[in-house]
Amino acid sequence: MEVEHIPEQTQEKVEQVDSADLVVGVIAELDQEGLAAVCDALRTLPGTPRVVVLRDERAASPGQSNPEAVEPSASPCHVVGWPLSGSGTPDTPVIGMAAAYQSVFAASEKLGARACCVIVSKLEAATAGWVRELARPLVERDLDLVVPNYARRKFEGLLNSSIISPLMRCLYGKRIHNPMGPDLGISRRLFQKMLATDRTAGAGGNRVHSFASVTPAALCENLQVCEVHLAARIYPATDWMNVSSLLAQILSPIFLDMERNAACWQRMRPSVSVPAIGEPLLISQDAGTVDISRMMESFQLGVRDLQEIWGLVLPPSTLLELRKLARLPSEQFRMPDELWVRIIYDFALAHRLRTINRDHLLKSMTPLYLAWVSSYAHDLETAGRTAMEERLERLSVAYESGKTYLVSRWRWPDRFNP
Amino acid sequence: MWSQVKQQLAESTARFLTRFASMVPGLAALVVALLISSVVGCILAAVMRPLLSSMQFDERLARWGFPSVAEWSPKKSPTLLVSRAIAALVVLTGFLIGIASVDAEWTSQLARSVVAYVPNLLGAALVLLVGSVVARFLARSVLIGAVNLNLHYARLLSLGVKWLVVVLAVAMALEHLRIAPGIVELAFGILFGGIVFTLALAVGLGSKDLVTKSLERDTQKASGDKLEEPFRHI
Repeated sequence: MEVEHIPEQTQEKVEQVDSADLVVGVIAELDQEGLAAVCDALRTLPGTPRVVVLRDERAASPGQSNPEAVEPSASPCHVVGWPLSGSGTPDTPVIGMAAAYQSVFAASEKLGARACCVIVSKLEAATAGWVRELARPLVERDLDLVVPNYARRKFEGLLNSSIISPLMRCLYGKRIHNPMGPDLGISRRLFQKMLATDRTAGAGGNRVHSFASVTPAALCENLQVCEVHLAARIYPATDWMNVSSLLAQILSPIFLDMERNAACWQRMRPSVSVPAIGEPLLISQDAGTVDISRMMESFQLGVRDLQEIWGLVLPPSTLLELRKLARLPSEQFRMPDELWVRIIYDFALAHRLRTINRDHLLKSMTPLYLAWVSSYAHDLETAGRTAMEERLERLSVAYESGKTYLVSRWRWPDRFNP
Repeated sequence: MWSQVKQQLAESTARFLTRFASMVPGLAALVVALLISSVVGCILAAVMRPLLSSMQFDERLARWGFPSVAEWSPKKSPTLLVSRAIAALVVLTGFLIGIASVDAEWTSQLARSVVAYVPNLLGAALVLLVGSVVARFLARSVLIGAVNLNLHYARLLSLGVKWLVVVLAVAMALEHLRIAPGIVELAFGILFGGIVFTLALAVGLGSKDLVTKSLERDTQKASGDKLEEPFRHI
């Protein structure tokens, strides 16, 4: 039994609970009332499963650090305090989140749960029911992975829209809007696989970042995946000093997974949608002008000063196009999707080949990412929801069209260099 | 008297000619040893070059984290550097063998001092290698970090950091080689201080804008005028 991810004190608390059908790890800040509401909602799940809620002790409000079982009943909902934030610091939230996922998986395994959910986000129109919606397909339909499809504004979740979602769609052939959740529902079959993979990879000193790897693992194993429509997520405000660190932390596990699953994704297949539960929620889109001068400045600085690094990663044709782009006035600035896609593929390849230090590589991508955001902001400044969907669909298609380039460079990095 | 001078001259000439005659075979042996070692060195270099190329030695070296070796190498090729180093080593060995045939005692003295100096050479080479790797790593870290902070003098900052580390490494290597330690210390102090002073001036003057922007931002924040940015990345 995998217990290394369970803190000692918490292990005692977990041992007081005999077993569970569903384990819910709550990393999001939730007060006692909210927690009780979540428990009430989970009790209404079909088959009245026994639920254990692991609540992040550090996220709890003062005076609530020692939660107990919320309410004993025929279908008890035990709440166990748990330092889910793990080893993460404010500068390394991704590492902390990965550790939290592993903790939830380990506890679920220990309690013999049929499934587990991890709740990280706060939603704009949050009802306690949304946690139930995430868990229901696991309990009711025996699915393996439930991913959220949040209602989205055009300038939110940009890293997901520009890289994560279209890249996963292109690689693994499934159109999933938020493959990295972060709120996910996971079956026993899948979390056991994740624990096993982590053990194997950890022995080689290369730990798996669960929340990034869970969707690729499910898709490569042909497990059953569905999406649940949820309200808009409340995203943290952008810390401009930290964008490059975030980019590196998010992309590193994705590129590592590409390396691990190369045999799986190199099989070409057109993408298909996954079953969706619920109705998409429509939210208002901002139509005001946006200031992209800072991002443009970052890109122009990058083109001026980072040539020696980009030159190791990107082919000459791409570098030439970037130099031309940097000379354009701000109002004419547009980064073609094909160029952006090639940049991502070349960086993924350089990450695999360790062309330069991986942290340097990923952080040096920041000005390019900001250039894409500027171009996207130009395109959608006054656009509505439909235009946003169309724009992102075009980007996803560009990713899929460029897959032959990726596969060729991946297989023959020295021979195929345009 | 004249006869004594003549005798002394004849004796010294004979002594010189005898000694020279006794050295000729040794000198011939030295030339032969040099010729043979040069040929062997060339052959070895010619064998090593294609062998290392087939192993993609240059690319592997860069991948192992020593891309700076290429910069020092002839024609930017570490393969060429290694094959030439092997040839030079063989020629040096041939030279030592040849010298031994001229004067055994001289050779043993030379060999002793060379061997005693080898650890210093190795130490200095290691210091230079590590210094070069660290300099490149830090220079890249600073360059990327500064560009991501939108600093316009990112390249200058990175170059300054690189040269600081390189100067430090070279001074340490020369100290290790015991080459003019007094001068090295003085020169290092002047150079290091100069670079730090230049960097301080450059950053100080260059960051005027940054400070102004930062103060403006703070003022806006305090007065509540700042517009909320719509961009959310993760």
